[in-house]
Amino acid sequence: MESKFIYLQPTPVRIWHWLNAFGIVTLLISGAQIRFPEFVTICGSYRSAILLHNTAGIVVALSFSFWFFYYKWVSGALTNIYVPKMNELSYPLLRQVFFYFYSYFKGASAPFHATPDSKFNPMQKSAYLAIMFVIVPFVSLSGIALLNIGPIRQIILMAGGLQILVTVHFLLACMLGAFLMTHVYLATLGSTPLAYFKPMWTGWEKVEHHHSTEEVPETVK
Amino acid sequence: MKCFYQNFYKTAVTVSALAVCSMFPQAGHADPGFTFGNASSDNQTCLDCHADINKVAKKNLISSEGFSHTTHAELGCKTCHDTITADHPKDGKVTRTTTCTNCHGDIAAEYATSKHSMEVSNCSACHNPHKVKKPDEISALAMTATCMSCHNHNKIKSTHAQWLPQTDLHLGAITCVTCHTKSKDYVVSVYITRRSTKIDASSPIIADYSYLSNKAGSQDVQYLVDSNRDNYISIEELKVFNKNPANRDLYLKAILTPSETSHVFQISDKSWNCTFCHASGPSSTQTTKLVLPNKDGSFTGFDVEKGTTITSLNAIPNFYMMGSSRNNLVNIFGGMLLVGGMIMPVGHGFIRFLTRKNRRKE
Repeated sequence: MESKFIYLQPTPVRIWHWLNAFGIVTLLISGAQIRFPEFVTICGSYRSAILLHNTAGIVVALSFSFWFFYYKWVSGALTNIYVPKMNELSYPLLRQVFFYFYSYFKGASAPFHATPDSKFNPMQKSAYLAIMFVIVPFVSLSGIALLNIGPIRQIILMAGGLQILVTVHFLLACMLGAFLMTHVYLATLGSTPLAYFKPMWTGWEKVEHHHSTEEVPETVK
Repeated sequence: MKCFYQNFYKTAVTVSALAVCSMFPQAGHADPGFTFGNASSDNQTCLDCHADINKVAKKNLISSEGFSHTTHAELGCKTCHDTITADHPKDGKVTRTTTCTNCHGDIAAEYATSKHSMEVSNCSACHNPHKVKKPDEISALAMTATCMSCHNHNKIKSTHAQWLPQTDLHLGAITCVTCHTKSKDYVVSVYITRRSTKIDASSPIIADYSYLSNKAGSQDVQYLVDSNRDNYISIEELKVFNKNPANRDLYLKAILTPSETSHVFQISDKSWNCTFCHASGPSSTQTTKLVLPNKDGSFTGFDVEKGTTITSLNAIPNFYMMGSSRNNLVNIFGGMLLVGGMIMPVGHGFIRFLTRKNRRKE
C-alpha cells in the first residue's frame, strides 16, 4: 500500500486552531473557578482567575473574528467548508453516523476522506456549524457583555437581565466543554490514535491508498 | 459609661452653678431670658437664634431638624458650650472649652493611630456635631459621601480600577469603610433603591422617605416590605417585594457595611481576598438588615431572616454576584451537558475497546 502526504491544514488555520484550543481550555478552567470558587482554585486567587478568563476571552473572541473575516472575505470558503449542502444532509450524513456507531466497530474504513477543499465530513460540518455560528459567537458576545456591565445595563435588562445573561453564558460554555470532549475523542479515531492530531500540528496528512491524483492542492491559502 | 459620668458630673455642676447665678438678679441686660439649660427642651433658647439664618452667620447656623435627634441634643447645648455667659453673644467670648475627646476619648486615641490623623486632625472635618447620626442611622451612601467630601470620586474610581475588576459595581455595592476598616464582622444592608434610566453603578440612588411614602399611601413605609407587620423581614417578604409589578421602579440594593465603626482606615487583609464575598454563602453575607428611611432623614434597620440574602436578591433579574448567586438548577443542567459530552469518550470508547480486534491490521 502506498502512502502519500497531502498538505491539509495551512499555517494560519493551525495557529488559529491551537490558539482557540488553549484559549477555550483556559476559559473553561478559569470559568469553573469563577463560578465555583470554593471547589476550584487552580488559577490561584479569584482575581487572577478573572483576569485570566477576561484575557483568554478577548483572545478567543478576536481569534474568532479573525477566522470569520479570513474565511468569509479573504478565502471565501466559509460556506463551502462549514455549511453542509442539502445532498450531504441525507445519505452522506447517515453514512457517517452509521460508520461511527456501527461499521467502525466492525473494522470498516472511514467513508470520508478530507481534502483541502472538502475538509469536513457531513457530521463534522453539522457540528462545526452549530459550534462556530451559534455557540462561540453567543458565548463570546455574552462574555463581552459581562466584561463591563455598567454602561450596557439597560440593554442587558432588555435581554432579560444579568441572571439570564450569566445563565446563557454558563450553559453555552458547558456545551462547548461537551463538544471539546467529543471533538478530542473523535480525533483519536484515525488509522492510529494520533493520525488526526498530526496534520493539525504539522499541516500534512498521511493518506493511504487513494484514488485521487491531485494530492497537491491548488487552493492552499 | 465613663462618658456618662463625665456628663452627669458636668450637668450637675452646671445646674448648681446656674442655680446659684439665678439667685442674683442680673441687672443691665437688655435681653434677659437666656437660661442655657442643659435639658434638651432648653435647647430651644439657643435654636431661636441659631436655627435662624436671619439672626446668625451661616457658619453658626444649626439645623434644628438635624440637631433634634442627635445624642448631643439630649445632652443639651450647654454641656459642650460650657463657658457661655449670660452676655452671649455680646461678650464675644468663645463658648466652649470642651472638645470631642472629652467624651469620645477612645475613638480619638484610635484615630490618632491612623494615617488620616496626620492629614486631618479635627473631628469636625468629617462629623458635624450638630447633625451627627449614629452609624446605624445613616445610609451606606452617606458613609461614603463623608469620604467623598475630601476624596475625589473619579480619582478613587481610577485608582481602584487599576486592580479591581468591575470597579463601578464594586464601589456601588460596598462603602469605603467596608474594606478600609478594622471591623471583623459585616452586615448586608439592603436598601430600597430607585431604578433610573441613567444608572451610574457606582452611585445608586436610595429611595428617600417622601418617594416611598407616596408609594405606601396611608400606611407606613416599612409595610411596603413588611407585609405581615411583625417588624421582622422574612426572605419571603423580600421576594414578594422584588416580584411585585407595582415596585418596578424600585429594586433592592444590598450594600456590605461593617458592623462596627472603626476610625482606622487601613485596608483590612480580607479585602484583598475576593472569595471573602465571592463564594457561595460566605459568613460575611449572613447578617442582613433592611434599612429604610425615616421622615427626619435618618434610617432605621430592620432585622432580616437569617440565611443568604442572595436567595432573595436572586429574585431581581439584574442581580448577580459571581461565585455566590449561582442557580443550582442551572448547575445541574450544565453538568448534564458535560456528562453528555462524555458519552462519546466513555460509551464509544468502551465498545471501541471491546471490538479492538476487528480493526487489527492484517
